[in-house]
Amino acid sequence: MGENESEMVTIHVMGKKHEVPADLTIMKAMEYAGHQFRRGAGCRGGYCGACAAMYRVKGSYKLEGALACQKIVEDGMYIAQIPFSPAEKITYDLSELKPDANTFLEYYPEISRCLSCNTCTKACPQDIEVMDYVQASLRGDVEGAARLSFDCIGCGLCAVRCPAEIVPYNVGQLARRLNSRYVIGPTEHVLKRVGEVEAGEFDADIDELKRSDRKTLQKRYESREVKL
Amino acid sequence: MRLAYYPGCTMKTDAKNFDESTYSAAEALGIELLEPTRWNCCGTVHALAKDNVMNYLAPIRNLIRVEQMNEAELVDDKRVVTQCAMCYNTLKRANADAKADPDKMGKIRDFMEKEPNYQGSVNVVHMLELIKGLGWDEVKSKVVKPLDGLKVFPYYGCLLLRPREYGIDDPDHPTVMEDLFEALGAEVVDNPYKAKCCGAYHAVHLKEVAADLSYRILRQAQEAGADIIVTACPLCQFNLGDRQNEIKKHQREFEGIPVVYYTQLMALAFGKEGTGFEQNIPDPVPVLEEKGLL
Amino acid sequence: MSGYPEYMQGLLKLVEETRPDRVGKALRAMNAEEKEQILRDWHPDYKMDQKRKLKIGSSAGELMPHEVADTLEAHPVIKPGDIDLSNVVYDVDVLVIGAGGAGLSASLTAIEHGVAPDNVLMIQKLRLGDANSKMSQGGIQAADAPDDNPTIHYLDVIGGGHYANKPDLVEAMVKEGPDVIKWHEELGVTYDKLEDGTMQLAPGGGTSRKRMHSCKDYTGLEITRVLVDEFINKEISYVEFTSAVELVMDDKGQVAGAVLWDMDHDDYTVARAKSTILATGGFGRLHIQGFETTNHYGATNDGVVMAYHVGANLRDLDSTQFHPTGAAYPAQIVGQLCTEKLRARGAQPLNNDGVLFVYPLETRDVEASALIRECYGREKGIVTPTGMRGVWLDTPLIDVINGEGTIEREFAAMFRTFNKFGIDIREEPMLVYPTLHYQNGGVEINVQCETNVPGLYAAGEVCGGIHGKNRLMGNSQLDLYVFGRRAGRFSAERAKTATLGDLTLDHLDVYEKMLADAGVVTDRKAPTLLPEYRGKRTLEHQLKML
Repeated sequence: MGENESEMVTIHVMGKKHEVPADLTIMKAMEYAGHQFRRGAGCRGGYCGACAAMYRVKGSYKLEGALACQKIVEDGMYIAQIPFSPAEKITYDLSELKPDANTFLEYYPEISRCLSCNTCTKACPQDIEVMDYVQASLRGDVEGAARLSFDCIGCGLCAVRCPAEIVPYNVGQLARRLNSRYVIGPTEHVLKRVGEVEAGEFDADIDELKRSDRKTLQKRYESREVKL
Repeated sequence: MRLAYYPGCTMKTDAKNFDESTYSAAEALGIELLEPTRWNCCGTVHALAKDNVMNYLAPIRNLIRVEQMNEAELVDDKRVVTQCAMCYNTLKRANADAKADPDKMGKIRDFMEKEPNYQGSVNVVHMLELIKGLGWDEVKSKVVKPLDGLKVFPYYGCLLLRPREYGIDDPDHPTVMEDLFEALGAEVVDNPYKAKCCGAYHAVHLKEVAADLSYRILRQAQEAGADIIVTACPLCQFNLGDRQNEIKKHQREFEGIPVVYYTQLMALAFGKEGTGFEQNIPDPVPVLEEKGLL
Repeated sequence: MSGYPEYMQGLLKLVEETRPDRVGKALRAMNAEEKEQILRDWHPDYKMDQKRKLKIGSSAGELMPHEVADTLEAHPVIKPGDIDLSNVVYDVDVLVIGAGGAGLSASLTAIEHGVAPDNVLMIQKLRLGDANSKMSQGGIQAADAPDDNPTIHYLDVIGGGHYANKPDLVEAMVKEGPDVIKWHEELGVTYDKLEDGTMQLAPGGGTSRKRMHSCKDYTGLEITRVLVDEFINKEISYVEFTSAVELVMDDKGQVAGAVLWDMDHDDYTVARAKSTILATGGFGRLHIQGFETTNHYGATNDGVVMAYHVGANLRDLDSTQFHPTGAAYPAQIVGQLCTEKLRARGAQPLNNDGVLFVYPLETRDVEASALIRECYGREKGIVTPTGMRGVWLDTPLIDVINGEGTIEREFAAMFRTFNKFGIDIREEPMLVYPTLHYQNGGVEINVQCETNVPGLYAAGEVCGGIHGKNRLMGNSQLDLYVFGRRAGRFSAERAKTATLGDLTLDHLDVYEKMLADAGVVTDRKAPTLLPEYRGKRTLEHQLKML
């Protein structure tokens, strides 16, 4: 199937009308229409959140959020990109924080304005329970807030929609770092190995490998023990 | 008996001792309390403006969670138990308002979209109502360490009793805590100040007003010879308890009096671990030790 | 509901039929001769008509893909006369070009070594953290398990790289692996752990131990966003949507900063720096041999081009990594990464008979070759409605082997991506085909991340030598932080004593002369900066592969 056989649909990019193949993502459809992205494109795989977009489809009052690189165009779609979400990320020294509700309230006091309206959750292209993790942070449930927010890619759509003007993704980031640092903590066998490396325990063996010729190395490699 | 339990945010932060002792007391009474896996802030009562649907979303969403728990047969009936007076009042009133106003209920359902429709089937109860329903003899039968010789001043505050139609007891002459503490073997000190305002609404902006109102209650309790004040609300607890250090600065003759949640003394009388006294300000342990209860 | 068209659903029945017998079974790994043979016959790197010898510079005569040579045998984007070098807008100790894992680590480490946060400047073509680093799914290697150690890791790396790696770099990487994990945990990166508090480790293609640390299948995302958060906490200066287009030199032959292009305003400015770190990533968006790519939008080989313009040595650019499993269906996500962790947790590649045809955890070059052979040599691929070929990756086995819920828990990203197209990877396999993933070679560095040009440092995918001719899964994530931190540290040390002379862009004239002398006649310009997909080119790479 070449593009000649593709079914075409009509989309409106920032109000301008274009005919594009029906099976393209918003991002590729915009490129097909002649746009070269500077802002509003990143990983193109759903991992970075750079391509947040909002759209309405003809005949529906619903204002939908999506990642332009993941969402397939629909006929009659009105699209605006939201390439930037104005928000202040507070700065802090992680080593001085406590993993409790007061930390969240001190840095992001606006979370107490949450109405539990769930608009953030509805806006999330990752289907994260955004409101639930904001609520978890509000009651100091650091682990819950970290777990629920884990798949956040920081696209900013929740923050754009929140009527209480909360920036959920910043709250989630704080929760995850607090959780890792204080609730989960460091890993014993990692610390142990770091000590062994610092003590030079592997230096002699690695030196020997570095000095080996290719033939010796290949022999060692092919006959190495595999324990999976 | 498995019942849905809505704790509220405060119970998970400043009032962990209330939460912990609630579980202890309930366990002794054979009640299994189950939190919804997902819940959000109750919405808080001051937000319940009649004409703003937005403010109803939080409480109603929590009630939907209870209906979901019931549907999944995780709990035995459609009651949701609350403890925090603020949460109780908010959920109770939002529930009643939404049920009484189909138009409002419709708007709430419309807005919520992805949530199942709230059927209006949940009954919001306060833990004290639940306990009263078990019967005082039942409570008495679980006591392993009677609170002999402990003079208890029960303090109700506002939100458990007012407005009248949502109160758990007669707002002028409440008796549920009196009955409870008699069943636990304590001596109850009665006083008209038990349902006066603690000043919670002024706690942030007019600290001196809150301090003054709280002090009046504390002084009454002390003058009536109470050993300990008992509350059923984290805000009352804060104003009467945590605020004493500040009050002492201005009221030199005031010596301080411990303030605890009613469930903490229940847990103690039932011989349970998990009383949470270590979180209370001022420390109630010396008084309880003096009375031979610890 | 199946997201596959009806005729493919028929083939899926064969997969289901053979599944019970395949549980716990795997073909043996190939021996050295078999590997050599399949690489020679089927790996894209071995197609000699797809490469040519570079005509100019210190790497003249070296083979590299046409697409890479095209960017080196091209005119610089600017001419010396275009830029007023006296108008220095940024004057810093350390200039970091690129805001992925390597650039972020370098910046954070530079300030630890005494450079003030406002004396480091990070330049980034996209947003902070928008880089291939963020897209890594499966994991990061580090030899910290009791049954593992850096020596074993070393042997895996050097054998997997076909003994072409630079030993000093491999040594640095494997030894510092555990310390990188320690650093991440201090910063608040959440790694997957078992209930006893130890790391949940998985194998990868070509590893002899379970050494892969993961954060669900969002490993790169989790690490990158923590580093970005910390970067902002430290108030290090940065400018987004600004691209370096050329390195600036001084009259002492040192690299002394860069010419920057403000992409919002189409303006050129000059940044002067005592040390400059290239952390610009790779070349996936050059679409070598027309392959689709897993890479992010900015991966256009800019760093290698700018470095070559100032005379930096390159190496191993003949070697390209094709990830064995890119999505082959649906068309909207063709080329996107399907993490190797899927195979590490039990998914098997199957042909159109539902038969396992290769050991699932060969090194990436061998595994990719086997998939290509199955589709085009043995004609055993599955043909999609757009005419593309692929093989099944039987993901439902993951839950069969590791218990229900494993896919949702550990592969949230994969599950989400395919679910959007009606394919539930718990129930149905994915359709996959190799995709352009990584440049194995690049700018040559030593263990201090110095290039042969004074003042120029490099770290991350832009470098060559660490992975030899083939990189193992999880070692690019590791190399980012090991060498990113080294670049930050040594560039900071240098900045303390370095003095700069007069700025110049004369090297661009020298480069033009080399082009002319070599008889290169072209209107190509580089660095590429932004890939060109406008109009029907949107569909081009998809069509080229048919």
